[in-house]
Amino acid sequence: MIYPSESARAASASEARYRITAPIRPARNARVIALDPRAATVARRIAEGPWAAAGFYTCEVASGTDGEDGVLLRGLDGATSTLADALTGTDVVVVIATDDSGRAQAAAIGKSCGARAVMTAGLVLGDGFEAEDAVAALRPYARVLLLSADESDVFELLTALRV
Amino acid sequence: MLRQDINELLTQTGPGTPMGDLFRQYWIPALLAEELPENDSPPVRVKLLSERMVAFRDSEGRYGLVDEFCAHRGASLWFGRNEGSGLRCPYHGWKYDVTGQCVEVPSEADNSSFCENVKLTAYPLVKVGDVLWTHMGDPANRPDLPEYEFLHVAPEQTYTSKRWQQCNWLQAFEGGIDSSHVTFLHSGGLKSDPLFKGAKGNEYNMKDTKPFFEVADSEGGLFVGARRNAEEGRYYWRITPWVMPAFTMVPPRGDHPIHGHFWVPIDDHNCWTYSFDYHPVRALTPQERQAMIDGHGVHSKNIPGTYRPVANMDNDYLIDREAQKRGDTYSGVAGIAMQDASLQESMGPIVDRTKERLVPADSGIIKARQKLRKAAVALRDEGVTPPGVDPEHHRVRSAAVVLPQAESFLDSCRDAVKATPGVPQASV
Repeated sequence: MIYPSESARAASASEARYRITAPIRPARNARVIALDPRAATVARRIAEGPWAAAGFYTCEVASGTDGEDGVLLRGLDGATSTLADALTGTDVVVVIATDDSGRAQAAAIGKSCGARAVMTAGLVLGDGFEAEDAVAALRPYARVLLLSADESDVFELLTALRV
Repeated sequence: MLRQDINELLTQTGPGTPMGDLFRQYWIPALLAEELPENDSPPVRVKLLSERMVAFRDSEGRYGLVDEFCAHRGASLWFGRNEGSGLRCPYHGWKYDVTGQCVEVPSEADNSSFCENVKLTAYPLVKVGDVLWTHMGDPANRPDLPEYEFLHVAPEQTYTSKRWQQCNWLQAFEGGIDSSHVTFLHSGGLKSDPLFKGAKGNEYNMKDTKPFFEVADSEGGLFVGARRNAEEGRYYWRITPWVMPAFTMVPPRGDHPIHGHFWVPIDDHNCWTYSFDYHPVRALTPQERQAMIDGHGVHSKNIPGTYRPVANMDNDYLIDREAQKRGDTYSGVAGIAMQDASLQESMGPIVDRTKERLVPADSGIIKARQKLRKAAVALRDEGVTPPGVDPEHHRVRSAAVVLPQAESFLDSCRDAVKATPGVPQASV
C-alpha cells in the first residue's frame, strides 16, 4: 500500500485539502516614492488602498546638497523626512516616474537602496520615452523596472508583494 | 499573492467563463499533424477548454473536429469508423462529415431528410506548420491563421512536440516567463543538454544568479528582459516575448535552435504543453532533431504511443538523488521539460495563489496576470478584441544579447525581437 503522500501524487486536488493553513502576515514594509508631479498624483490615489505597511512620498531636491542628502521626501500628510529616515526599517522601495524631472533623485534613491540592501522596483508610467533618463538612472539599482502604460501596475505590484 | 476570485477567473477556461471566452478568441493548437497522419486514419480524442471532441481526417484529406458524442445515443465517436468521407458511429451507423453534419442515418428511409436537422458542434481544424489549429469561438470573429515563425520556416528547420501536463495551464505558462529559475533548476542542463550547452551566454547565466528584470508591454503581450552582468561595462540580456494568451519563447543560446511553448488548457486541471524548436536560417542537423525526439532541450521523452512523459507524477519523475548530489541535475529530475513540469505539477492542479509570497523578480508574472485579467474583463464587458489575436502580433522572437550598460534592451533590440524571414536570431 502506497499512501498518496508518499509520492508525487500528493499533488492531487484532494490532497491539497491537507495543506497547512496559517495566516500570512504582510511580508513587506514598503516605501513608494513619486519622482514627479504626475507620479505624485498616482501615488496619492494608490495610497488610498488597504496597505498594511506602506509609506507614500513625493520627492524634492534639497538645496545645496547632493547624493542621499540631496533628496527630501514629503509624506502625503506634508511632513518631510530625509531619505535615510524613510529607508529605515523598509525592505522594498517602489519608485514611480512619468518623466525625466526626477532623474537625479532616482539615482540617489537607487544608490541609497543598493547600499542598504533594500529591494528597489521602478515603475515608469506613460509611453516610457518621456522618462528615458529616469529609467537609465534607475537601471543600475532597480531589481525590477516595469515600463508600463498603466498606473494600476503600482497597485498590482504592491498587492502581489503583500505590502 | 492573488485574490481567490481572480485566481478562479484566470484558471477556469470552460464554456461561458471569462477566460474560456478569451481563449476562444484565438486559434489554439488542437493536436499535432502527426496524430492524423493520413486520410481515413483513426480518429483522435481531443479535449480542449473543457470540451470533449474527436478529430479526424476524412477520405479527401479534410480535417474535422466535432463533438465526441453521437447525436443519437451519446456513444463516443472515437470508436467510429473513419470511411467514405465521414466518421460513422459503430453503434447504429450514423455518419458525420468534417463539419459535424449528419449525412447518414441508416434506420431512416433512403430519401429521408431527417439527418439534415442533425448536426454536431464542430470547429475548424487547419494545418499550419506541424500543428493542427482550431478556433472555438464565434465564426463571425474568426481571425486570420497564426503566423508564429516556427510554423512558417521550411519543414527541415522546425520540430514540434507536445506533452500532457497535469496542472492548470496558468501555472505551466507562468514558468515560461520566469527567467530567474533557469540559473537554479536548469543549471545542470546548461552544462550538458545538447540543445543548450556550449553557449557563451551560459557562462553569464551561471556567474550571475541575481538577474535584474525589465518588463515592457508589447502589442501582443509583453517582453520580459532579464539582465545579468557580462564583461566590464556590459550587460547580458535575455529577452522573452509573451504573446497572449499562452505563447512564449525562450531566449536562444549560441547557434542552437530557438525554442518556445504554447500552453493549451485541456480542462482546469490539465494542459497540453506544445514545445517547438526552429532555426530561422538553416535546417536542423540530424543530431539536433534526434536530440529533440529523445526528449532533450524543451522536449520530453514520452511513453510510446502517448503524449504522457515517461517521467511523470506516478513515478516521482524518476528522481535521481545521486545525480542531484553529484550536481548533474539541480533537482534530481532529468531534462529541462520535466524539471519544469515536476515542480509546476507539485503545486497541485490549481495552485492556491492567495498563499503566495511573490517578490519583485516575479514582476513579469504579476504583469501577465494583470493583462490576462483585464483582457478577459474587457472582452466580457465591452467586447474588446484582446491582444495577440492579430497575426501581426505573432511575428516576434526571443533574443539574447550583450549591450553596453547604458542601453535599453527595448531600444537596442527592436529588430532582434521581430521575426524577420531569412535573418538569423540574435544570440550569445
